[in-house]
Amino acid sequence: MTTVSKPARSRLDPEPIPRRDMLGLAALWAAGSALVLAVLGMARLPKAAVVSSPSKRFTVMLPDSLQPGQAFLPSGRSVAVFRDQEGTWAVSTICTHLGCIVRSTPAGFECPCHGSSFAPDGTVVRGPAPRALSWLKVSAAGEKLVIDEGTVVPPGTKVQV
Amino acid sequence: MNKNKYLLLGSSLGVLALLIVAAAQEGFREWRVIQRATQSDEGPLGVRLRQVVSPGLGTSDRCVSCHVGMDPNEQGVRGGRLMIQHADVVHDTSEFGCTICHSGQGLATEKLDAHGEVRFWPEPMIPLQFSQAGCGTCHASLGMPGLEAFRQARGAFERLDCLACHRVDGRGGTMRPDGFGMEGPDLSRAALSGYDPDWYSKHLLEWEKAESGSWKAAFAPIGEQDLRLISTYLSTRIGAAKLAEAKVHFLSNGCLGCHRVSGFGGDEGPDLTRAGEKDPGQVSFAQVQGKHTLANWFSEHFRSPASLVADSLMPAVDVSDEEIELLTMYTLSLRRRELPGTYVSKERMRVEKLEEREFASDGQTVFSAVCAGCHGKKGEGKQAPGRQVFPAIANPDFLALASDEFILETITQGRPGRKMPSWGTKEAGLKKYEISRAAEYLRKMGGVEFRTDPKTRRWLSGNSAEGKRLFASACSTCHGAEGEGKEGPALNNKALLAIATDTYLVETISGGRRRTLMEGFLTPSMARPTLSPAEIEDVVAYIRSWEGVEK
Amino acid sequence: MSGKISSQTGLLEMWDNLRAVPRRIVDSAFRSGKPNTDRTRSTFIFGNLFLHLHSVRVHRWSLRWTTTFGLGIVCGAAFLITLVTGILLMFYYKPYPDVAYESIKDIHFIVPTGRFIRNIHRWAANIMVVAVILHMARTFYTAAYRKPREFNWLIGMGLLVITLALSFTGYLLPWDQLAYWAITIGANIAQSPREVTDALGITERFDPGEWMRLMLLGSDVVGPVALIRFYLMHVMILPLALTALMGVHFWRIRKDGGLTRPVNADQKLSPPGGDTYPVFSEAPARTYQIAAIVKGRTSQVGNGPENTVPSMPHLFYAELGLLMLTAFLCLAFSVVWDAPLKEIANPAVPENPAKAPWYYLGLQEMVSFSAFMGGFGIPAIVLIGLGLIPFVEREESGTGEWFGGPGGWPLARNSALFGLSAAIVVEAVAIRFGWIREWFPDAPQLLITFVNPGTVLTLVYASYSVWLIRRFQSTRAGAVGLFTCFLCGFVVLTIIGAYFRGPNWVFYWSPAEWPGH
Repeated sequence: MTTVSKPARSRLDPEPIPRRDMLGLAALWAAGSALVLAVLGMARLPKAAVVSSPSKRFTVMLPDSLQPGQAFLPSGRSVAVFRDQEGTWAVSTICTHLGCIVRSTPAGFECPCHGSSFAPDGTVVRGPAPRALSWLKVSAAGEKLVIDEGTVVPPGTKVQV
Repeated sequence: MNKNKYLLLGSSLGVLALLIVAAAQEGFREWRVIQRATQSDEGPLGVRLRQVVSPGLGTSDRCVSCHVGMDPNEQGVRGGRLMIQHADVVHDTSEFGCTICHSGQGLATEKLDAHGEVRFWPEPMIPLQFSQAGCGTCHASLGMPGLEAFRQARGAFERLDCLACHRVDGRGGTMRPDGFGMEGPDLSRAALSGYDPDWYSKHLLEWEKAESGSWKAAFAPIGEQDLRLISTYLSTRIGAAKLAEAKVHFLSNGCLGCHRVSGFGGDEGPDLTRAGEKDPGQVSFAQVQGKHTLANWFSEHFRSPASLVADSLMPAVDVSDEEIELLTMYTLSLRRRELPGTYVSKERMRVEKLEEREFASDGQTVFSAVCAGCHGKKGEGKQAPGRQVFPAIANPDFLALASDEFILETITQGRPGRKMPSWGTKEAGLKKYEISRAAEYLRKMGGVEFRTDPKTRRWLSGNSAEGKRLFASACSTCHGAEGEGKEGPALNNKALLAIATDTYLVETISGGRRRTLMEGFLTPSMARPTLSPAEIEDVVAYIRSWEGVEK
Repeated sequence: MSGKISSQTGLLEMWDNLRAVPRRIVDSAFRSGKPNTDRTRSTFIFGNLFLHLHSVRVHRWSLRWTTTFGLGIVCGAAFLITLVTGILLMFYYKPYPDVAYESIKDIHFIVPTGRFIRNIHRWAANIMVVAVILHMARTFYTAAYRKPREFNWLIGMGLLVITLALSFTGYLLPWDQLAYWAITIGANIAQSPREVTDALGITERFDPGEWMRLMLLGSDVVGPVALIRFYLMHVMILPLALTALMGVHFWRIRKDGGLTRPVNADQKLSPPGGDTYPVFSEAPARTYQIAAIVKGRTSQVGNGPENTVPSMPHLFYAELGLLMLTAFLCLAFSVVWDAPLKEIANPAVPENPAKAPWYYLGLQEMVSFSAFMGGFGIPAIVLIGLGLIPFVEREESGTGEWFGGPGGWPLARNSALFGLSAAIVVEAVAIRFGWIREWFPDAPQLLITFVNPGTVLTLVYASYSVWLIRRFQSTRAGAVGLFTCFLCGFVVLTIIGAYFRGPNWVFYWSPAEWPGH
């Protein structure tokens, strides 16, 4: 490529290699894009394709002694079920602020974490909670109630069972 | 130096290509393809993995990723056989998932893996025609009758017109009391859900009150016998009619005489308590035709046990194809699962903790479930090739000579040294009343009463030395030189000699057993020597001499 | 007034600085600028934490493919791949019995890319084991362990042991039948010194076997405790140890003067080709003493810089190329073959035959005669022997050349033939006629422990090696013979263990002859 007769250059001079080295560039680009694609593929792994939580629907049987305004709290679920003359409804007891479980009180609900208070219908009375507590879908199955924690209904939806 | 650049370029392009192949593999997984082609009422279905998680049972069933129609959270899914919805069953599918009943590999998302038809998954799906076998994972059924008893009970239930008001397995229940209102309760699951033990007196009361209508038309007082039959029939209503029938047949082939199930039965064959869970990867399908499923293996095994299991002692089960299918179904239902307390069924608990019986304790059922395997369904005896005979215990000549005490004692103590186990004393054996009912049934079946013997148990005084000579010439061909038994039963058995009276032995030799190889030696014959009464007594004296000999 | 102006200038300055941020970040990271002169290329390397394990220039001999076949880099690349995929798998793996198995099923069936990643992990691990063994063979046959590289040879042996241990510990994690029974056997090999202590009757007082088994399993059975131990070793202790030793190994390569090359390497190399950068075909204007940054003229002015090329980019093309080649192999295997997963572990039903990973099947074959000698004695002898090689063999001829030294390739070939046939003959005798137990049922256990096909083969190989030393008057010749024989013995035993052993470790010509159930 070069001959000895050509004047020697200093090794500290820049050489215009990349322009001529198409092969090297192609190889580097191929390697780079393969690695990028691999990383993109690998980045998909940590996000679970399906969450392993049990069905959000569950059935409960309300006790006959349940008074209007009194909350029925199915065990293992974050739901309060109420019944009055107009029907039955379920309110989620998960605080809309940061997800603590609110306590049911005669005046409504109180969150133990940051002091939010909610009226019996779930609307925010005090504290940092940004939204009212969700009302959940209730339907009847024979003598039992089916409550779907996954489906939110407009507040005030009461179901006659 | 360019070699390395070519290396880099080539392998990088190769990696790129393989990454794209892998992405395509991922993007065209079976469940994705299925879901993309599926419509629901609200338009195309969202393509995502679906599963039913049951924390209590510890299962995550991804079956609904392909069978989207079965997903309890999906409604209005349309498209083909794959998308049909699950039939309405007692168990909430969103709580129980799929594999607890159907078995298979719930964690898998590809057909072969999920259906378990792959190596290294020991619990394949129960074939659809046997799906009721899945109930056996958790449920037991108590007090089930044998085939004869079941037929009588079902006959009574239908004869007495119970189906007029009650619905059973989709039949009947059309007539409503007083013309309108509720029909009678559905009795399809009466054995599991339980029913009012006072039902008869309450029915009677209604009948007395009623002037007309269905209470008068379809009901009338019934007898004690029929009441028992109806309660027998109700004990077979476990919500799975075919499984119940399968069990009835299992209890009619004497399987329990050699096999244990849930802590009851004989010890000659393997314990079958978990037979339905057999790993298909651990059995040989060399002799099995058709698909290599456990069900096919079982049916072939019933037809010809020895060709599938080397050295199997089990005789072939000589029944119709339909019955083989039922037996296969019952065998498949013999499975267990570690379950948290709240999921354990009441019946299973009663069987395992309280040792309640899964079969009825009437003589007929006990005989057909336990004794029929060796002695025949009619007590006619059996002989497997190359083995000693199993005695024909319903033989009238035998029953005439064998006292009730003889029969009870034989069942209770068994015959040490022979296949007959000591049913009364062995672990996992019969209870006293079951033995006596079976003995009663045996005598009833033979139709012969014990010929009362005025003599004492031991009255005989023959010449043992002379007997020895006679035995060698007359008896040893069948019973062996030392009475050890060949085609004929062993006579040197101490348990037999302890129970048998002198009369029993003398009469048996003199008169023989009809319909067996044993003929009476008093009767003159061309083929073998005839013995005089005195000579017979000599032979018995010789046989008695074995009583003290350790054999 | 002046305050206003200065505040304006300040804001403008800040604005300019803000605009210059990206450029300055790059500048501050890569201080030397574009690596397009020898000097900047050098700074590019020693100014970078990850690259400075390389020397800035590399001899052209080292870049010849036949010098190393890139095996060392393949080992490192395979390790890098297992490291990355292993970390990804840890997102979903749960180290507890039964749950572990389910989590592998999850990885296989529902984790996005999970099946592929697990396959890659598995195949990269296999490739790593193969590459490590071949790398060791390469180092041996080119006599590259000689002074001053003796210590690096020892480090390399450490890396071999850790690689095998990593593989072994990873084997248990899926908690399937394969895993459970392989580890049960492995744990009992750890206990096998009892074979000797029992025979000597001193187990009551001195029981190193039980101690090792307990250390390995943390319990008397393969259970949750054992699983968490294996997990800890697999994901933490061993990778850390491997990384540390690898660092030392690489660093020593540089400190020991780069890769071994023959003394006459410069003559053997063809003159620099036209496709290299001008710098190699020209006499340098300045030359290099310590590194390119030292300016000044020395006696080497006018001479080529010792047939070396800058590592950046020549060495890096080679390294990157090998990394991608390794990745390509892993991916190709992974697309075609899934990593195995058998039934869930069942302590009541042993696998039959229960086979260890393939590279332990040679050991397992020897273990089938004596657990102690097969699992402990002979591996220890082999490891000690390997470690002694560079300290016992102090010759100089043939360094850096394939099959260098007296005898050359014919010696290696003949040794291979001898090693193969000796192993096959000994195995054939043992398979056809049985061994001492079958001939003399009352033979004492110590005799059986110390006289078995493994030890006989070891002795045969050792005698052969001694004979070679005398014949060639060269330790190197003996070493080549011994190494070759052991390699061949390993291959023969591994193949017999892998393909010709069936249920109850009985010899079968093919799995089709295995008895049915």
